[in-house]
Amino acid sequence: MSDKRAQHKSKYTLDRGIPGAFEGETITRRRLMTGTANAAGAVAVAAFALPALGFALGPIFETQPHSWQDIGPVDAFNPNNYVPVVVTITPGVSEIGKTTAYVRQKNPAIDTDRPDRDTPYIAISTRCAHVGCPVRWVDAAERFVCPCHGGVYDLLGRRVSGPPVRPLDRFPTRVRAGRVQLYTARFSVNSQLRRFSPRDPGEPLDGIGQYLYPSRPSARKP
Amino acid sequence: MPRLPTPKLPAALQGPPPRPGEENGNVAPADAAKEAGITVVDWVDERTSLSGAARWLMFRKIPKGTNWYYTLGSATLFAFLSQAVTGVFLAMYYRPDAGGGAYESIRHITDQVFLGQFVRGMHLWGASVMVVLVFLHMARTFLFGAYKYPRELNWVIGVVLLILTLVMALTGYLLPFDQRAYWATVVANNITATGPLIGPYLGDFLRAGPEFGATTLSRFYSIHMLVVPGLIAALIGAHLYLVTKLGTTAPPWQKVETRPELNEAEV
Amino acid sequence: MNRREKEQYLRDYGILKAKGKPFFPYAVTKDGAMACVVLAVIITMSLVLGAGQGPKPNPTTTSYVPRPDWYFFFLFELLRVVKPDSLTQLATIGIPTLGMIALFLLPFYDRSPERRPEHRPIAMVTFVVVVGAMALLTYQGAHAGDPTTISLPTPQRIVKAGGATLAEYEAGKAVVAQSGCLACHKIGENGNGGPGPNLTRVATRLPAGAIARTLVNPTAPMPSFRNLPPNKFKAAVAFLNQLK
Repeated sequence: MSDKRAQHKSKYTLDRGIPGAFEGETITRRRLMTGTANAAGAVAVAAFALPALGFALGPIFETQPHSWQDIGPVDAFNPNNYVPVVVTITPGVSEIGKTTAYVRQKNPAIDTDRPDRDTPYIAISTRCAHVGCPVRWVDAAERFVCPCHGGVYDLLGRRVSGPPVRPLDRFPTRVRAGRVQLYTARFSVNSQLRRFSPRDPGEPLDGIGQYLYPSRPSARKP
Repeated sequence: MPRLPTPKLPAALQGPPPRPGEENGNVAPADAAKEAGITVVDWVDERTSLSGAARWLMFRKIPKGTNWYYTLGSATLFAFLSQAVTGVFLAMYYRPDAGGGAYESIRHITDQVFLGQFVRGMHLWGASVMVVLVFLHMARTFLFGAYKYPRELNWVIGVVLLILTLVMALTGYLLPFDQRAYWATVVANNITATGPLIGPYLGDFLRAGPEFGATTLSRFYSIHMLVVPGLIAALIGAHLYLVTKLGTTAPPWQKVETRPELNEAEV
Repeated sequence: MNRREKEQYLRDYGILKAKGKPFFPYAVTKDGAMACVVLAVIITMSLVLGAGQGPKPNPTTTSYVPRPDWYFFFLFELLRVVKPDSLTQLATIGIPTLGMIALFLLPFYDRSPERRPEHRPIAMVTFVVVVGAMALLTYQGAHAGDPTTISLPTPQRIVKAGGATLAEYEAGKAVVAQSGCLACHKIGENGNGGPGPNLTRVATRLPAGAIARTLVNPTAPMPSFRNLPPNKFKAAVAFLNQLK
């Protein structure tokens, strides 16, 4: 009994008593053919599936081109109220690539956050940080109000009430030759107004949030 | 003057005896057509043996008590077919161009194409009807307990079909490319991106980039008219195969009259 | 379901099936009639309701109020009712995903052989609760007003009074709608249900003087409206004072 099992376990086909076995052969012809057929099938499927998948997934790894855009003279903006400006953030798709930003001059009394000290102008994106509806600056209440699910933000773009998970995104600004310029790539901020690479709406940046919603190759910090 | 009887023709010269239905040797056109039809069907069946499958599909027994609630599934299938046909014709006129072509082509379909508004309306409202029917079909299955043994797998396929139907409804309403369509897509995309870890990449994949761009619309168009309908058609095939193989359930309160001697004896 | 119950079911089903009728033509007739009804409904809806097209897409808008198609109202309203920002992911992705997983696995955790609805109390209660919740959310989503207009009808007494009263009421309504009050207060079907109290009947709780004082010196987080032009401020107070 034990003798038979030892024979069966041998790696040589000859020992296993398979008809037509060769001396020193360890794999049957049938097993070789089965393996070859499976491998050939896998190669054939991969040959069309992988390029197609790469083609579809390509945009995830491509960084969008961005540029500085002129948004008006330095005296068009004041430190206490927002002025809407329209900028093109995605070139080549006419109207669809545009968005609105609310811009005001930096107010040293309220913009005390360290990164903001180097920014001459504060440019707030109108994309709600909940799921991306277009927010509106309501002057009388000094609030950004979202029309969809009840998001409300204060003068600095920080959440006042409703479901938004972080403050409104911002655009970098600079002054060149008496003109204000805006960089077309957003950056996101957490509740302490610390800067992060741009995230999609609905992705919190406080605590564990920045690791659960990682930065993407397609949108790096400007 | 008595006539002499006509002699009989020799057997070799006589035609075949008339078959029933062809008196005087003339074949009625209807019978000829029927004969030809049978010949063609026989020819195909001899080479494919499809008649067995057709009999298996069409002449299977449906259990006692089957009622109108059992038509909800086929009604959903019919709504899907209606969507497929109207969708094919809409695709002949539609241009997935975010630069303005999409909006204009929908306007062209609605205002200028012969029966354009009618066909677009059928596709638009057909979507609502299909969503309602899917939910009703699912409610019927749930209430009758039809997801239980041995039909578990068919329930799972059905849930996938429900999700795919909702995906169709969602991707479909970007295509008219008006304000509502644009913002609904932006929101749906951002909702997808709120999934932890993979969400941000999924959002980029659907948009073809970090922002709504030139190829976002064509991506949704491709998903709406090629990827998801293909999946739906394949899964409907599997769904129907399982329905036919396992049979439709009887209503749960249908009494089973067994002969007492067949009951399991207590041991 | 154990093996005996499975065999019992298959045997009962076999008996019912043997007593049944062939699929063609008995069931096919019903299916065909239903298909005709479905097509008639679709064609009627297409003819009566047509196929409209909204304005061109405009990503630069700050005044458009996005709303989904009716079959996604329940998801839309779910995003609205889940207010705390710490629970936002639960509403966007959590609840829908968990719901789908629960649906997927239904046959694997509900394994009892019982099929009659009246003998499956847990399943039936869940069904009623889920369908009721979806219906309620859909209804509320369909009636979710936007936070920049007030669709409250003008009361009859104001219309009867006419003249200056009516004019001030309408002017005040416009000021309140445009001043962002609805971001935190609800007035009729418009606005958000928090953090501020519902203002639909505010005048039954507060006299005119108190309303004006609150607008000037509010408790945080409400902003002060003392910078409103005097005529607008007066109109807003007059309007709020009529909300009873």
